[in-house]
Amino acid sequence: MLQMFLRRLFLGAITVAIVSMIIFAGVEILPGDACTAFLEREAQGRVLENCREELDLNRPAVVRYLDWASDALRGDLGVSANGQRSIAEMVGARLQNSLLLAACALIVGVPTAIFLGVVSGLWRDRPVDLVLSTGAIFAMTIPEFVSATVLILVFSVWLGWLPGIVLTSANAPASEFFPEIILPVVVLAMVMTAHILRTVRSSVIEVMNSDYVQMATLKGVPYWRIVFRHALPNALLPAINVVALTIAWLLGGVVVIEVVFNYPGLGRMMIDAISDRDLPVVQAIALIVATVYVGVNLTADLLTMVANPRLRTLYTRK
Amino acid sequence: MTSTIDEVFCIHDRFSFGLTENSTDKNNRLFGLAAPDPIKCRTREEDMKRIIALATAAVLLASPMAMAQSGTFRQAHEYGFGAQSSLDPISNGRIFQITEKIMSRLVRPGLDGRPSPDLATEWSANEDATVWTLSLRDGVTFHDGSTFEAADVLYSLNRVLDPEMDSPARSAIAMIEAVEALDDMTVQITLDTPFADLPLQLMDYRLRMIPEGSGDTIATTGIGTGPFMVETFDAEGTTVLVANPDYWEGAPGVARMEIIGIPDGQARLQALLGGQIDMERGITAQQSVMFQNSDRFTIQEIPTGNWRGLVFRTDVEPFNDLRVRQAVRMVADRQELVDLVLGGGGIVACDTPVEPNDQYRADLSCPQDIEGARALLAEAGYPDGIDIDVHVATLEPTWPTLAVAYQQQAAAAGIRVNVVQAPTDGYWSEVWMHEDVSATRWNERPADQALHEIYLSTARWNESFYQDEAFDALLAAARRELDFEARRALYVQAQEHLQETAGTLIPYHVTRLVGVSSRVHNLDEVKNDAVRWHLITVDE
Repeated sequence: MLQMFLRRLFLGAITVAIVSMIIFAGVEILPGDACTAFLEREAQGRVLENCREELDLNRPAVVRYLDWASDALRGDLGVSANGQRSIAEMVGARLQNSLLLAACALIVGVPTAIFLGVVSGLWRDRPVDLVLSTGAIFAMTIPEFVSATVLILVFSVWLGWLPGIVLTSANAPASEFFPEIILPVVVLAMVMTAHILRTVRSSVIEVMNSDYVQMATLKGVPYWRIVFRHALPNALLPAINVVALTIAWLLGGVVVIEVVFNYPGLGRMMIDAISDRDLPVVQAIALIVATVYVGVNLTADLLTMVANPRLRTLYTRK
Repeated sequence: MTSTIDEVFCIHDRFSFGLTENSTDKNNRLFGLAAPDPIKCRTREEDMKRIIALATAAVLLASPMAMAQSGTFRQAHEYGFGAQSSLDPISNGRIFQITEKIMSRLVRPGLDGRPSPDLATEWSANEDATVWTLSLRDGVTFHDGSTFEAADVLYSLNRVLDPEMDSPARSAIAMIEAVEALDDMTVQITLDTPFADLPLQLMDYRLRMIPEGSGDTIATTGIGTGPFMVETFDAEGTTVLVANPDYWEGAPGVARMEIIGIPDGQARLQALLGGQIDMERGITAQQSVMFQNSDRFTIQEIPTGNWRGLVFRTDVEPFNDLRVRQAVRMVADRQELVDLVLGGGGIVACDTPVEPNDQYRADLSCPQDIEGARALLAEAGYPDGIDIDVHVATLEPTWPTLAVAYQQQAAAAGIRVNVVQAPTDGYWSEVWMHEDVSATRWNERPADQALHEIYLSTARWNESFYQDEAFDALLAAARRELDFEARRALYVQAQEHLQETAGTLIPYHVTRLVGVSSRVHNLDEVKNDAVRWHLITVDE
């Protein structure tokens, strides 16, 4: 078990390292750098040289990468190329805001999704299931920026009930993000709910058709007792992995939502940093998102193993 | 006789200045308790406007409301320079939406666009326009309480001129050789070349006065003499400004302003529609339909000097042949381009960068002439037409549309246009001024500056590599000419010369659409940098 855990941890670290190299190379290959992005038309001759000198862009890319990587290992994310502010400081508040958004979406989305998934699984092919399943497909397939725009149009522009975009500044305490955060949370929760709902539904259907549930029915166990005691604990296991994937998706996938709603989180910061060619900031954010992604998946695997002894033995015997 | 009439108008002029404001301080001035500022008399038309303003103000005064500052005005900025954003008016990362409200210039554009007094009350030049003397406004204080005087002007201007600062504003006043203080309230500016329109240059929206020695801190403090003061500065979040009760023109009508960083254009539009901001300057023609028939918004249409166009390098084949350059510009149906690309929101230009409302704008005509273009091409040795690659990028969203519309128009004369999409990143450093034909865009500048910066043989940004001694000579002569009519004639001649010989197709100047919430009142319907921010008021 421990050996297994260490192996997964090691693989995770390698994944993060490779991701950081790909990101570094990607930004490096793009035409232009922090100086041409900032100076625009002024980017000529001496002005450009001075700027590159100042931002330390003249050294070879490999040297800059190794420097950065060794600092990052020691927990020092460096300073941003533009404005020379400490990245750890800049990212801190943004990460909190993104987590707040993700947490709200999870709190709203996961219980709703599980409840609706169980309902549509138990009432399979009945009208309620048809409505829910069709709705889920719509919520999954309509891109977030479209549903976001429609919601803004309806609730903010036409009805005037909710603020359309977020104007609270990045460093404000969490409480100040209400009610501005409601629309982005709803959009995120919609997409998320759809994914989880469909997994839960099929898993409930599968379990309800299994031999042991039939056996329990034949023994005369009351229906709701079968559902809550015997079926759901098994049916919800696959949901753990989907929820974990959703959390990871939330951190990376909220980029679009954060831009549409002007939400001061990690995603919008990343977009801003890319257009500024602020390589240190892009690197730092990519590293954080990759680490979270790997970490969340690792945790989910461990949880599944804890909850399901069969998986544990399978792995250790190998 | 005329002079007496003018005299009368001048008196009204002074009165209305005091009346359109709300503070009791101003009312004192109205009733003659304080001396009015010397204000030059302008055209009668404008004086009529002032009389109307006087009448309106009289009605307002008659009502018992004693108006103090109230309410919050909210506006967005693009956060275009990211973490480099700053309150330093002359840096690349300046946030204009903030500096325009917190700092003043020596000279500003009046409602008619001509130089009018701001921190300088009067100016005059010597005979050959090389030495200028400016009187400064008395009793003006900075937000930190210090008094505005000549030393601050010297510091602010020298800071722009300092090559180490690398300020983009330097080109506007590069002709200044020395700035000296004759006394605390008088400044003398010596130029290295005769320049009759120095006040026009001093009107530049970046040339704002800051306290002496504040260069190291101005980027975050934003201390100036403007109607609003910085309370908190947060470039990517919300910057809060509060009214400056000591503003020299009178206390502002709005108590508080919030200038909010919203990088995404769509998000800014949503914020305006949803009532989270009160004004947005970059409304496109397509978006403006959303505001029509709405009583919650008004749209101001402001003609500007901003233009987009296509640059044909005059130093390479085939455009080094004058006839080819004329042909490629002659095929454009400019009104159609305005309609197709801007949805009608523009004013046709005949390859002159000088804006429609500029006093030096030449009155030119340039109808589409397909047959003429064909003939010129044949004469130049291209009877079967030419093939050209036009480089564009989505950096400017209208470029691709412009290029495709031009492609269709040019095809009729045998000019086969291939539109090449270049990446936005590195466009200015690797495509523009490198490829033979590329799209360009320029923001408004005074006539002289536009002509110099874009077309002078030695100009750094001579994007079409235009070399023409006759043109250079015309510009030099215009700068030297003190007589307005004669100077105007020279600038007009220079533009006619451009229309004849240039390699740059300038089809139009863009009209800016400003979306304004109906809770905002008294917002001057003029160009950005001429708005008098202390006058606006908002409904609670």
